[in-house]
Amino acid sequence: MFGVSAGLLGSALAFVGEAGAAPTAGQRLEAVQAGGTLRVGIVGFGASLEPYLLNEGGSLGFAGIPAEYLTFTTLDGKVVPWLATSWKPNADATVWTFQLRKGVKFHNGKTMTSADVVASMKQYVSAKGTNAGLTPFFDAAGVSAKGPYTVVFRLKSPIGAFPYLVSQTTYQAPIQPAAIAAKPGSWVESGMIGTGPFKLTRYVVKRSAELVRHDAYWGGRPPLDGVKITFYQGTAPMVLALRAGQIDLASQLAAQEGLPFKNNAKFKYFAVPTANHRQFCMRTDQGVLKDPRVRRAVALVIDRPQQIEKILLGAGDLGNDNPFWRGFSSTDRSTKQRKQNIALARALLSAAGAEKLKFNITTWQFADHPDHAASIQAYAREAGIDVGIEVMDVSKYYDSEPAGADYATTTPWLNRTATLTEYGARGVPNIYLTRAYMSTGIGDWNASHYNNPEFDSVARTYLAASDLASQRKATKRMAGLLLRDTPVVTDYFISYVMATSSKVKNYVPEGLSHIRLAKVGLA
Amino acid sequence: MTRFLLKRLGLAVITLFLLSVIVFAVSTVLPGNVGRAVLGPFATQESVDALNEQLGANRSIFVQYTDWAGGLLHGDLGTSLTKQVPAWDLLRPALSNSFKLAFVAFIICVPLSILGGVIAGLRYGRPTDKGITIAGISFAAMPEFVTGIILILVFAIWLGWLPVTAQWEEGANVLTQFKYLLLPALTLTLVLFGYIARITRASMIEALDSDYARTAYLKGLPSSVVVRKHVLRNALLPTIAVIAVQVGYLVGGLVVVEVLFNYQGIGLLIYEAARQKDLPLLTAGVLVVGIVYLVVTLIADILYAVLNPRIRFGTAE
Repeated sequence: MFGVSAGLLGSALAFVGEAGAAPTAGQRLEAVQAGGTLRVGIVGFGASLEPYLLNEGGSLGFAGIPAEYLTFTTLDGKVVPWLATSWKPNADATVWTFQLRKGVKFHNGKTMTSADVVASMKQYVSAKGTNAGLTPFFDAAGVSAKGPYTVVFRLKSPIGAFPYLVSQTTYQAPIQPAAIAAKPGSWVESGMIGTGPFKLTRYVVKRSAELVRHDAYWGGRPPLDGVKITFYQGTAPMVLALRAGQIDLASQLAAQEGLPFKNNAKFKYFAVPTANHRQFCMRTDQGVLKDPRVRRAVALVIDRPQQIEKILLGAGDLGNDNPFWRGFSSTDRSTKQRKQNIALARALLSAAGAEKLKFNITTWQFADHPDHAASIQAYAREAGIDVGIEVMDVSKYYDSEPAGADYATTTPWLNRTATLTEYGARGVPNIYLTRAYMSTGIGDWNASHYNNPEFDSVARTYLAASDLASQRKATKRMAGLLLRDTPVVTDYFISYVMATSSKVKNYVPEGLSHIRLAKVGLA
Repeated sequence: MTRFLLKRLGLAVITLFLLSVIVFAVSTVLPGNVGRAVLGPFATQESVDALNEQLGANRSIFVQYTDWAGGLLHGDLGTSLTKQVPAWDLLRPALSNSFKLAFVAFIICVPLSILGGVIAGLRYGRPTDKGITIAGISFAAMPEFVTGIILILVFAIWLGWLPVTAQWEEGANVLTQFKYLLLPALTLTLVLFGYIARITRASMIEALDSDYARTAYLKGLPSSVVVRKHVLRNALLPTIAVIAVQVGYLVGGLVVVEVLFNYQGIGLLIYEAARQKDLPLLTAGVLVVGIVYLVVTLIADILYAVLNPRIRFGTAE
């Protein structure tokens, strides 16, 4: 029905689109009163709202209300239609043809066509509008229109999971009107025109924004009259505002901040499992962690269930030192879970002649990082490993050292012996693999400098695989290699925590900070 | 008087010049860069370099400073590198907000603190004095964040009398704005009360023990007259100097309170500019706060001289 050929991407086939807003399709809806304004709290953001620059939870939350994407990745790891209704690859998954939804109107009244999609995508892979999510996969010449409602992507290499890569999990790729997309950097200035259920009427930088219902919304008339957003400088005042009834929805909370709303009849608490994780990277090419036995020993000291309980207050999933989150369709689940084993860790250290192992974990002052590093430090002590912790300011961690020096070879997050870095949720593990694990990512995001030709080869097989069986076979092999080599410890995946007032109905949170309100209403 | 003002003006210009040089110089040792702050940690270095080139953030500090200072001479405070709007467009509303909060905090805190200090001084050694002193020290020792949270829990969440965030609807009248500013202003009042009250108390005790006060009492003047006409006039002099310094803090130094109450003041704006290495905005912000400090100090000096006939403008410098 949607042109996805049988045998290809079972996950993509798993959902058949229906009339209405794709992100809420299939959702059982509660009765709501029409009208009313939803008051939303969003944590303020420092960087730009321009689509190609979106990189913070706050900016995603705001921009995600008026903007929409070609496809949608569901919480259970399926890709479903959104502004595109179907897609079809060629035989080797190097060419993907997308059919667009007809009758979609932008907030300025213009009908969305392939010209808008092509212009948007061209911007996202152009020099000025470049984003991290799409540039590895195709270039500006690789996207073209084939009629008013057909778009063709010619990829640099085969990618079986490409429909996921144009979903909201590649958050820097919403569809803009062609005239605006042709001028990178003009989306905010033009009024953040998208196809979403609410359109912007007022935006006071760092303070507030107001949106009203987009009456011509393709997914049906949204119940709410409008949305009022208050931007907060931190989560603490936002949490207090929700508790005091000044806002109805608070996005993106830390686990601790969500607690007052848990089991509280006045509120709804959400903890959504996501692929959001931390990478505790160990240099595989030099230094005291070069020996894989030593890295395995470090991984074996960690008590993962306890970490999830103590650091995330239960709002997380076990990690098995690979980026294959259990929610990905392609994840093979037969790999044995790594557990704490101090005796084995000591034996490995002894075999490697590293009984007096000592190293520093370098990270930055963000969310759970300091606690996370401290937990590893404490567990390591049980095996006689002396771990120091270096917590930097964000700008120091991610800048060259010293300022102005060659970035790839000096920035702390890519060059220290052991680093702890955050990775946001994605719909498929592709970008983690290409940039953080494969040898092609050295100097890019591969902080462990992991260079294993066998792994690269299997990863390429995975990327090109068009069927789930092949993908799962590849992820199983990669998981095995990663357990053996342990370039990265991924001890847990983090759930997305947020809360609303109990009067907010039909809200479905996402793993990212996007806020979808097409079907939301007030009791 | 004119000579005094001209001298102060000259000193102010030199101070502000040095301030701007120091901010630019110090920024060279700050980590981070604008392109990275805008594009995020995972942007490619090529993108970051291209943006820095486009924004001019990769030029030497000296070139950036002379460019910024040249604009300043023409009345241009520069353009924010991260927001790409004139710095003054960001500073003006933030400064206006800071003035509003400082004003509300000032009119609550200053009379209350002086009254507390005067009463404590007059009741020196008695339970009232001890009560005021201990309360003042306790509030001053408590971090602003904790004081603010307690006030929010009590007045906004439990009692529901006041709003949590100091952010009113567009076009709200003065009374509504006052209501929204009450909680942050009370937080600041509690923070500053102990300091100002203690200075006032100490000055009161000293003035009450002075020869002129003793003479006034011996002349048979009623206590109220002695306190009002002789003691207070002298006891308030050090308090004025202390208050002048606190006004500068109230306008430009309220990062924690502004975050907690989600208030868009100039303190927070400067802090963010520093974090993002947005030099034109940072320097312009520091300069504006510097001007506020200088003006308030000047007013305090004039007030000091008016209250103390022994001091004339020639020596008040």
